[in-house]
Amino acid sequence: MNLPLLKTIKAERLKLKRSPVWLAFFFLPMISAFFGTNNYMMNQGILKSEWYSLWSQHSLFLCYFFMPALIGTYCSYLWRLEHMRNNWNGFLTTPVPLSALYLGKLFHAALMIVAGNAWIFLLYFLCGNLCGLESGPPKEAMGWFLGGILSGMAVCCVQLFLSLLIRSFAVPIGIGMAGGIGGMMVTNKGLGLFYPYSLYSIGMRANNPYRELEVGPFVSGCIVYIILFSLLSLWRLRRREL
Amino acid sequence: MKTLQLEFYKIKRRKVWLTVFAMLAVQMLWGMWALRNPKDWELECGWTALLYTVSLVDGIMMPTIMSVLASRLADIEHKGNTYKQLETLRSAGSLYHAKALCGAIVIAVMFVVQFAFFITLGYHLGYVGHPDVKYYLLSYVLKLASNLSLFLLQLLLSMLFANQMIPLVAGLGGSMIALLLMYVSRYSFLPWGGNLSAALVWMDWDEATRICTYFYREYSPVEIAAVVCIFVWAIVFYIAGRILFARKNI
Repeated sequence: MNLPLLKTIKAERLKLKRSPVWLAFFFLPMISAFFGTNNYMMNQGILKSEWYSLWSQHSLFLCYFFMPALIGTYCSYLWRLEHMRNNWNGFLTTPVPLSALYLGKLFHAALMIVAGNAWIFLLYFLCGNLCGLESGPPKEAMGWFLGGILSGMAVCCVQLFLSLLIRSFAVPIGIGMAGGIGGMMVTNKGLGLFYPYSLYSIGMRANNPYRELEVGPFVSGCIVYIILFSLLSLWRLRRREL
Repeated sequence: MKTLQLEFYKIKRRKVWLTVFAMLAVQMLWGMWALRNPKDWELECGWTALLYTVSLVDGIMMPTIMSVLASRLADIEHKGNTYKQLETLRSAGSLYHAKALCGAIVIAVMFVVQFAFFITLGYHLGYVGHPDVKYYLLSYVLKLASNLSLFLLQLLLSMLFANQMIPLVAGLGGSMIALLLMYVSRYSFLPWGGNLSAALVWMDWDEATRICTYFYREYSPVEIAAVVCIFVWAIVFYIAGRILFARKNI
């Protein structure tokens, strides 16, 4: 058992205690679900694929524009405390390996992605039932959920690196949103698997639940970004001067 | 005036301009991508369509851009813990006033650049005729007002809360509300719907021909009220920000 990692996870949990950081992951998907369901109900003449149509309405804007920025907000928050005053001194002189310090933050970010995605899907199922969709939720939903978590992790590693690099709280969030909008263009060009911010919408099959996912390239893309940006973050932490 | 000058000194190396223009650059890249290779009918109505397109993109992006800008201006004081010190040198009201004015100047310049870019792009793409000066000027003024009201709301939140997550999430939520409002209405009385109400051009899409028709909106009384509401919000947020910040126990 990796004790330093457990210690850093515990320390990060203490830092996050009583912070309202989860509220964003709670409310933003609710706004999207409310408007998405409303739009589905009003356009049932065109949107005839029941659960699939409902998912397209729920996921489109949330996955393209807002989740990358939301993940960015959480990652910025995780580093914010270290960027304030002289906290880097305490953080970098903690007697645990730097990798454990980084993984402690990544663990909490991953946890929030899992919880956020679970909430998005719970809202989807609830709204589907409220709309009176008779058939059960699609089997593929589990694949969307897992794809969302894996690709969310890739976005998370990119944003953790940016928030470590940039002292400002707001700028990485802006980059996250711009990245999400850019992701729409990149996905449209068919290059989404090479661009981290597109991976989330591809993994969640945002706006296109019938899309056939190329599992191999998708998983490889996510893993490459997770490893690459984790290494970059560790490199940056090693070079950081007190 | 001195306080305002100092605000610009403070942001000198904080890359506030760079941050705002980087986000504007995303809009520009998006515009170059979305408007490329126009068809003949698109060239005919290019100048009208441009006002519509830019308004929609602004509606989505501006609440977030405004939250980033406000956070950059306010967070400098939270990080340095300088509010108390500054208030011994000048009134809280004048500090708030200077920050609001500093942001307003950045926004005004940002929209000049945005308009200049899209007009240049229009000429480059070969849009027929010239932009209608009256509508473009009016659009500039309304855009300025609606985004100023958003900025003042965000500045109020950013100065009141040391934890910048709260105002930034409010900005993101605002972007989402603005985007979703576009689905259901042509106007809104909410502060985030300002860009929607201020869109002077609207669009009809013919499903059979797959051709869009763009036209200048004829405002109904309720839509005019929504436009007036933009200015009301700006005044309300300014006054509320000034009062709440002055009363805040730092």
